[in-house]
Amino acid sequence: MTTRTPEWLVERLRQDDLPPDEAGAVRARLADEGGLDRLEALARDDARFAEAYPPGPAVGEIRRRAAARAGSRPRPRRLFLVAVPLAAAAAAVIALRLPGGGDDDVRLKGSSPRLAIHRQAAGADPEALARGAHVRAGDVLQLSVVSAGRPYGVVVSVDGRGVVTRHGPGDGPLAAALPAQGAVPLDHSYRLDDAPAFERFFLVTGGAPFPTEPVLDAVRRLAAEGRARTGAPAMPPGIAWTDFTLEK
Amino acid sequence: MAFDVDAAYRRYAPMVLRRCRRLVRDEAKAVDAMHDVFVNLLRAGDRLDDEAPASLLMRMATNVCLNQLRGERRRPEDADDAALLAIAAAEEPGGLSFARLSLGTLLGREPESTRVMAVLHHVDGLTLDEVGREVGLSAAAVRKRLRGLKARVAAHDQEDVA
Repeated sequence: MTTRTPEWLVERLRQDDLPPDEAGAVRARLADEGGLDRLEALARDDARFAEAYPPGPAVGEIRRRAAARAGSRPRPRRLFLVAVPLAAAAAAVIALRLPGGGDDDVRLKGSSPRLAIHRQAAGADPEALARGAHVRAGDVLQLSVVSAGRPYGVVVSVDGRGVVTRHGPGDGPLAAALPAQGAVPLDHSYRLDDAPAFERFFLVTGGAPFPTEPVLDAVRRLAAEGRARTGAPAMPPGIAWTDFTLEK
Repeated sequence: MAFDVDAAYRRYAPMVLRRCRRLVRDEAKAVDAMHDVFVNLLRAGDRLDDEAPASLLMRMATNVCLNQLRGERRRPEDADDAALLAIAAAEEPGGLSFARLSLGTLLGREPESTRVMAVLHHVDGLTLDEVGREVGLSAAAVRKRLRGLKARVAAHDQEDVA
């Protein structure tokens, strides 16, 4: 069965967007079916477009929307709390959409503790970030913890300036209890500031409540040694950790 | 290198608008979707590096339009429109969100949305081989992905009937 050359391919041919062999095949196919005038029709439509939608106002609108979606300007603190309702709203969606690995054909089994990070843009669904994803100052992030049965844990981060931050859950001297199953969003979302290079998050877990200060100290030492981006922190005995680095 | 949105608009916006018109079938909505495509492009900025920008932009436009169509409750105008609305309403296999897919795909970090592949195949009439070339997958992989989506479309249709 022969079908008319899809418009998709004709558009790509017009834009010189096809590899040479494919372009030749599409052009020949168009010629065979007497459809080369479709290229001319596209050219005419391009001219009409330029009159109807000139770039000045349109690009202005595009820039306005982009600026609106980029959110407010970065604030002095490296990360700060965003409204809790956002976290709650994100949680409902995250619960439906996790796991969020880098491959949509393979679902993560969750056999070991891990962090999930979602980026929240106004009016859009939370976007699951993969390790190494690029983020920017102003991005709003929602962290979630998958304990995979490890009963206690804390999330800590270090940024490109070496600033170490505790993210919870909880804020007491000991690591908080973690739910046994599922991805549990932390209570607050965070907006990134303009610290350069990277944001590295650690999920630190233990079989019993453990003091969080030695964990923070281990990450601070890493930063002081200039190894914050990829180095392994010297955690107290019996403490396991996993990390999640975002690039900036 | 700063991304030149003005130059990109001048060259590709007519094509993007035609794509949006074909999918949403409403001039105002198509123009709105076209703007959103360039917003996404602008936000990706200098991280954008694609050898086939026209294909990328039309896939982005498809994603944006599917997002628009997702919430629409209207009578399909024809068979293509019916297929499109069903695809838009279906859940993405793997539970991925459009938001994640659209930006992740744009930056080369995520596989293409299965719904976009479904539109290319079922609405645009590309063969599985051609869809595969567009998204960097084999025809067999495309077929596998579409099979998962088909089940979701069928499930959605059942819900509508019920």
